[in-house]
Amino acid sequence: MRPFRDIPIKKKLTIAILATMLTGLLLAGTGIVVADSVLFRRYLQNDLAALANITADNSTGAFSFDDAQAAGGTLAALKARTHVMAACLYRQDNTILARYTRPGESPECPAASGQNEVRRSAAGLDVSQPVILRGRRIGEVALRYDLGEIGERARLFGAMVFGVLLVSSLLAFLLSSRLRAIIAAPALPLVQAITAASRTRDYSIRVQKRSGDEFGALADAFNEMLAGIQGPDGDLRKALVDREVALKDAENARDFLETTVASIGDAVISTDTAGRVIFANPVAQQLMGWPQSELSGRPLDEAFRIINELTRAEVESPTSIVLREGAISGKAKHTILIARDGAEIPIDHSGAPILDAEGKIRGAVLVFRDVTERRRAEQSMHLLASIVESSDDAIVGHDLSGLFTSWNKGAERIFGYSSEEAIGRPTSLISSPERGDEMPGVLERIGKGERIEQYQAVRRTKSGAAIDVAITISPLYDDLGRIVGASKIARNITEQVRAADRLARLNSALRHSNESLARSNEDLERFAFVASHDLQEPLRMITVYSQLLVQAYPDTQNGDVGAFINYIVGGTKRMRELLADLLAYSEIRADAEEPRTPIDLESVMQKATQNLKAAIDESGALITHDPLPVVSAYEGHFVSVFQNLIGNAIKYRSALPPRIHISVQESNGSMRFAVVDNGMGIASEHREKIFAPFKRLHGKDIPGTGIGLAICQRVVERCGGRIWVESEVGRGSTFVFTLPVTSLSKQGDLNDTNSCG
Amino acid sequence: MIRILVVEDNPGDIHLLKMALQIAKLECELTVVDDGREALDFARRQGKYASTPIPDLVVLDLNVPKNDGLEVLEALRANDAFSEVPIAVLSSSSSPRDIAKAKRIGVERFIAKPPDLEEYMKIGAELRHLVMVEQPLRTSSGG
Repeated sequence: MRPFRDIPIKKKLTIAILATMLTGLLLAGTGIVVADSVLFRRYLQNDLAALANITADNSTGAFSFDDAQAAGGTLAALKARTHVMAACLYRQDNTILARYTRPGESPECPAASGQNEVRRSAAGLDVSQPVILRGRRIGEVALRYDLGEIGERARLFGAMVFGVLLVSSLLAFLLSSRLRAIIAAPALPLVQAITAASRTRDYSIRVQKRSGDEFGALADAFNEMLAGIQGPDGDLRKALVDREVALKDAENARDFLETTVASIGDAVISTDTAGRVIFANPVAQQLMGWPQSELSGRPLDEAFRIINELTRAEVESPTSIVLREGAISGKAKHTILIARDGAEIPIDHSGAPILDAEGKIRGAVLVFRDVTERRRAEQSMHLLASIVESSDDAIVGHDLSGLFTSWNKGAERIFGYSSEEAIGRPTSLISSPERGDEMPGVLERIGKGERIEQYQAVRRTKSGAAIDVAITISPLYDDLGRIVGASKIARNITEQVRAADRLARLNSALRHSNESLARSNEDLERFAFVASHDLQEPLRMITVYSQLLVQAYPDTQNGDVGAFINYIVGGTKRMRELLADLLAYSEIRADAEEPRTPIDLESVMQKATQNLKAAIDESGALITHDPLPVVSAYEGHFVSVFQNLIGNAIKYRSALPPRIHISVQESNGSMRFAVVDNGMGIASEHREKIFAPFKRLHGKDIPGTGIGLAICQRVVERCGGRIWVESEVGRGSTFVFTLPVTSLSKQGDLNDTNSCG
Repeated sequence: MIRILVVEDNPGDIHLLKMALQIAKLECELTVVDDGREALDFARRQGKYASTPIPDLVVLDLNVPKNDGLEVLEALRANDAFSEVPIAVLSSSSSPRDIAKAKRIGVERFIAKPPDLEEYMKIGAELRHLVMVEQPLRTSSGG
């Protein structure tokens, strides 16, 4: 509860008015009620006396005749007075003539007193009135009256006073509100002006005078006071105020700088002139591993230990240099900070003196930063650069206008221009004058971000020589991903191109001579075929007619003529054999047109031994063989292969009975057949020759034309195989031939096999 | 009398063939045609052979001038008039290819001219057997 003096005027007014009015009204009301109750009591006593008197008068008759009924009727009239509790008419002898009680109640009548009086009793007012007839008392009326009416009246008056109070309070409240407008409102501008003047120290403020009353006087007085302050004294005050403001600004600025230094990404440390730390920002604390609390006042050199990255020698702290020399300490390169925990952090750092207004050194500031990332990037860049530099290929870059921007040692070696000569020059510097410059098209494609893989071009070196190069061009992007040029990797392939040209020429020549060789081979074979075939005819004529001649002239048989004719027959026979063999040999090719069929070498073997039956029987040869496969070929050819090889083994036998075995092995995708004998063997110098057509090592003692092995070789080679002999004189021979597995036939896969035979 | 068409250009062989037929005692009348073109005319029964009687046997050398003997063989086989005439090829070639080709077209005999007189003379008996024994059997059984 606020003390009364602090309550606003408005409320004070309201309270004063209400209090005054209520006091008045209460006093007035109380007076009225008290007066009324006194007056009413007096009036009531008179009234009741009168009522008793009247009742007594009216009941004289009833008493005279002792008529209780009439007396009762008289008393019943009292019913109109509701506060009459009971009434009795007493006879002379104090017996009751009639009685009345308020309906619903049964109070006692007051006793007859014989007096004419109004008495206060516990129940109310008791009234006694003698009944007088002609001066003689004949009875008595006794009434009892309750005092409720007095209370009723008091309550009525109380309600009236309360109502008046309520209405008056309302009126007083409304009145006080109006009064506030009249009294408090003029004070408000004055209050505002005073507040403003005290806050802003602006003493030029004046209050407008609005009334001639006390507020008006107050406004005048206030204005005068301000005028007084504003005088010469006022300037001093203003200066004081300004200084305060300036101080505030300086504080703000310092806060701002502190915040800035604290939030800067670089480490910042300031020291006093003795090199002791005054301030270290969070980055500095974190990099060095020292908290500010431990740094403050500590010589910086204790916390900031730096070494040279290469020599690992201690480096003097930049603040020491700054404080000694009074000048800015420039950036040192390759410096490593040894943090408190021994970690090594590559840093860049610089120091500067802190100078006051007179230029006196007040301390030093050290700024440094962690350059680990940058150092790493630099290292990988150096590595890449040295890879590029040491490459044998020319690696050059140019911008989008076609001017060289980089030029490595490889380019210098290949094109002869040094990087100083080439960089900044157009790419046409090395383009071939005959071929022109394809760069415009290339630049367009590079501009679209295309990569151009390995195309061949001709370039001109510094000495004017044309060289062949293989070039790959890729777009070069800047760090924003824009295409800013192209990198070219060029390899000198002049030698390769020359070699390739030479190779192509040689190949072409080889192909050409192969073709002509094949053609002449073909011609030769056709010639051999036709010759051997057509020569048979006249030879047959000679043979047959020679025989006919002998038959026709039997006499000449034993003479010279007969002998001559026998020579003719013998010669033609030998020639026929030779021609037949030649024909068989040349037909191996001609027969290639025959459809090949799967042939079982087992049956081929049987046919061959059948054909050789006479020789086998005669020599007592023993022939064995491994299980033989099925091949896709021309049967007749393989019969001659087996027949020739076995026949040779028998023909060129040693003193022992021939033992011949044919083995089969599969290895490396080919079947290897070996015909092993225990014959006389072949001297190493003859092993190649024996496969040539008509080449024989023996005279007429062993018959033969020398075509057999040539046929074998031809058949085997036509199947994609090889044939050779492994032998030693006196230890038998092994004729080996191979057939590719593709020429081997299983049931139903003929289509996969090569035609041969 | 057996009528035989002989397509052969070598007089030596014609002589030997006549000897062989004589030895075999086959009474015959030979019509000798010595080049391929005439042989074709004969086969097609045109030109001067338009009215020549159909022979009982053809002896054909495959190696004749102008047109190939195989061509003649095809023409003979193509002509219904020769459908019941046996054909014996008497060739200097014994190459399996020629034999296969001739047999594919259809011949009754393929005889390689033997380089031996005795063998040659046996051809007469063979031809006689073909025309006197085999052919009547075939025609009678065939209808």
